[in-house]
Amino acid sequence: MAAASKKRKAHSGTRPEQHETKRLWLMYPARLITTPVIWQLGQKFKVVTNVRQASVTDEIGIVCLELAGQRAVIKEGIKWLEKMGVSVEPVEINVIES
Amino acid sequence: MEKNDGFMKALRCRECGREYPLNATHVCEFDFGPLEVVYDYERIKHCLTKSVIHGRPETMWRYRELLPIAHEPTVGFQVGYTPLVKADRLARQLGIRELWIKNDTVNYPTLSFKDRVVSVALSRAKELGFSTVACASTGNLANSVSANAAAVGLKAYVFIPADLEEGKIVNSLIYGANVIGIRGHYDEVNRLCAEIAGKFGWAFVNVNMRPYYAEGSKSMGFEILEQLGWRIPHHTVVCMASGSLLTKIHKSYQEFIKLGLVPDAKYRIHGAQASGCAPISTAHKAGMDFFKPVKPNTIAKSLAIGTPADGFYALRVLKETGGSGDDATDDEIREGMKLLAECEGIFAETAGGVTVGVAKKLIASGKIPANDSAVLCITGHGLKTLDAVVGHVGRTREIKPSLREFESLLNAENHSELLSR
Repeated sequence: MAAASKKRKAHSGTRPEQHETKRLWLMYPARLITTPVIWQLGQKFKVVTNVRQASVTDEIGIVCLELAGQRAVIKEGIKWLEKMGVSVEPVEINVIES
Repeated sequence: MEKNDGFMKALRCRECGREYPLNATHVCEFDFGPLEVVYDYERIKHCLTKSVIHGRPETMWRYRELLPIAHEPTVGFQVGYTPLVKADRLARQLGIRELWIKNDTVNYPTLSFKDRVVSVALSRAKELGFSTVACASTGNLANSVSANAAAVGLKAYVFIPADLEEGKIVNSLIYGANVIGIRGHYDEVNRLCAEIAGKFGWAFVNVNMRPYYAEGSKSMGFEILEQLGWRIPHHTVVCMASGSLLTKIHKSYQEFIKLGLVPDAKYRIHGAQASGCAPISTAHKAGMDFFKPVKPNTIAKSLAIGTPADGFYALRVLKETGGSGDDATDDEIREGMKLLAECEGIFAETAGGVTVGVAKKLIASGKIPANDSAVLCITGHGLKTLDAVVGHVGRTREIKPSLREFESLLNAENHSELLSR
């Protein structure tokens, strides 16, 4: 019993950080077109960015991005993007249907 | 053992054309483009003739060679072949020579066109060995997955935003589905659903099963062509949420032309959206080939997708066929629902009101000429969106249990009717 509880304690205290890859669509408004958003993302957070598709006009920026790193860091990065005014969708774009 | 994929050849990326095996996968590993099923049309041409189709039961499966299953269907045997109604009274109201309603409000078993896509997705899921199916939905899709999964003993998980109205949840809970409400902002819920879909080995109908799922919509188009007497309507008006239905109606017309089942003819496909969520029709009107995301604010909840996944492809179809895109306000949606109900006895959900409302505008503006013919695709039953019309459809007149009182009510109403003439 004591051994089992010790084991649980050890697990909860040293939970290994999860590394993962996310596939996202970023859409950003005209005001952010000239901002190097993806470069800034890589500078601010320890994530690897890999652009797979992109279409940038003077009205909208649409970028398909692969993001790799620690799960918690990726989440922070997404929060920062949204704060900047970037819409962040999964690669499927809209998973919730009517 | 020989691999049997029926009449399917592969999954192909809609962006780069790379091909993939016919598994539960939906995105190109190279450019993340969506995957689509490719068929062996040469073989299908030899098997699928008008007489073969005529000899089959009146369900969507009479076109099964053009649907993405390898064997006989195992889910939703009775789905489809809904009525194509000649809508003469509505035609007069809208000012067009000939009008048809493709009436999916009576689709089996959950009264919406989603039964088509779900029965295809679940049949294919069973072929691929899945025993658990899932979806993320706020309405019709959840109902259809729950019901169709229950009917064949599949375990179902339905993910919904936690603040969804009770009425919509009951329509899924009744079938014994596992309904999981997720608290949080819509975008967070959306991303989590995508994550869940990627993590668990389930058939997520609108994620990893999407290439198969979306093909089910084609059956609506096939039925229109057959029910019209093997011809393509000059004009088809389709409501747009993700835009997928519109692209698949187009694909169905192209496939029947390719197989020689209908004569090649010029046709236009028009897209209808609600004014409170019109990214595709707005982009089309502005002549753009991309859309700008919007925050939905409309009574047409089933069309409220601000970032439509197939928006780009829907725009391409509108452009290629010379179709138009337009939108209807909440009042115009209710008016469209009432028109359809009062003229044809069809009670459609708000999406149907959008289609009728936009068709009215397109006819009035001459984009659909008054001396032409059109088909309106009506996708779901009005009982699903009662809240949208409560308080807008007249009122009950109450009387005492007295014949004299009823007669005086009738007389008063007849009198005021005469005065108003």
